Amino acid sequence: MIRLLSFLSMLALWQGAALLSDPRHLPAPGPVGLAIWEEARSGALFSNLGATLARVAASFALAMTLGSALGYWMGRDRRVDAILDPWLVALLNLPALVVIVLAYIWAGLGEAAAVGAVALNKLPGAMVVAREGARAQDPLLDEMARAFRLPWRARLRHLVLPQLAPYLAAATRSGLSLVWKIVLIVELIGRPNGVGFKINMAFQLFDVRLLLAYALPFVGLMLCVETFLVQPFERRVSRWR
Amino acid sequence: MLLDVDVRSKDYADAAGRRAPAIEGLRFALKRGEAGAVVGPSGCGKTTLLRIVAGLDPDFAGRVTLPRDARLGMVFQEPRLLPWRSLFDNVRIAAPQASDAEIDALLARFGLAEHAKHFPGQLSLGLARRAALARALAIGPQLLLLDEPLVSLDAALALELREHIAKLIDETHVTTLLVTHDLSEAIALADRIFVLTPRPARVAATLEIDTPRRRMTAERAKALAEEARVAFKAPRG
Repeated sequence: MIRLLSFLSMLALWQGAALLSDPRHLPAPGPVGLAIWEEARSGALFSNLGATLARVAASFALAMTLGSALGYWMGRDRRVDAILDPWLVALLNLPALVVIVLAYIWAGLGEAAAVGAVALNKLPGAMVVAREGARAQDPLLDEMARAFRLPWRARLRHLVLPQLAPYLAAATRSGLSLVWKIVLIVELIGRPNGVGFKINMAFQLFDVRLLLAYALPFVGLMLCVETFLVQPFERRVSRWR
Repeated sequence: MLLDVDVRSKDYADAAGRRAPAIEGLRFALKRGEAGAVVGPSGCGKTTLLRIVAGLDPDFAGRVTLPRDARLGMVFQEPRLLPWRSLFDNVRIAAPQASDAEIDALLARFGLAEHAKHFPGQLSLGLARRAALARALAIGPQLLLLDEPLVSLDAALALELREHIAKLIDETHVTTLLVTHDLSEAIALADRIFVLTPRPARVAATLEIDTPRRRMTAERAKALAEEARVAFKAPRG
């Protein structure tokens, strides 16, 4: 209830500010809603949202899989940690934009470069969290698994993943919001479709209405992913507590 | 012999990193179907010994002889159940070859039927110990290893679990090795007691029990306790 009121007051504030300013700088909620409707009817909204979402999903999945595996390995093996740590620090401190531009220069203005660049930006964060998770694994349970000669698949499923799950959920939460923001930049610089591409177009045309018509539905979509996918997953994995 | 243990030496490193011998020249053996108890003062290396027998600690000089591919059912001092899996699943994960009916029967035998769907965190220590015991039995072990199975339970619960284990050994004839600091516990459960010396541990005396468990009488228990006390005090070497 309070959330709803807060949301409504946000809309009211927007409406009020729009009344006081030039509609070219800040269009009111009404015209923006209309623009969303028009883009939706032509199908352009969905194809661009879909393209962006696909990039988010692909780069997120790539970064999480690779990052969790590498981070877990680093957390379990000191030598691997010593070898990979400088790489991790370098990656952590590399600006997203540098990675994106270099990826486009080296791999060409293609889908692989776009998805790869985004994944590379998310990778070190996932590694750090997975490494923490690996270090927090209970050695007593490890020993139990050895005593009962559990095969590695059972260990992965019943020991490693349940202990890693809260860490992976945290990495998912922070990672998703990072990834979709970077995907927009990647699209803005070098893709012929997607929300980022449309925002660039709106910028060129100085069309704030169009900009908001793409930005808002996408924010809404990511909120839905967070509420209906990430949070239920978090609740599921912590049910035993 | 099902189990033949010969630990010539095992060092341990103390907090300061100094190495000192924990076990030296410790030998004993168990026949199939026998229950052996290793008794010694706290900190004399009993748990270390059990971990060596279980194959969890390869860093020692000597030899542990077991049948090839022997299945070992280990019950740790802390139950070490997976807190994110139900009791039923805990048993199932350790013993994937057991059928649902077998697991249910096993849980029922330990009075855990109503807890099958519960998570370990919802159980008392006594129940969790029983669950750990059920898990160890589910794999159909050739050797059951028990690390202080009755420690930190209140007297009534300890007695109850002791009866459970005694009955189990009598009925299934599973070869059992238990370590404990409590002599009366060993007298109530074992066919054969190995009394250890303080560090570095070795076997000071072996007590044979011809009237084990249900057939144990108060007088016999008293005599055994006296015998063990003498062994503890005997000069070394």
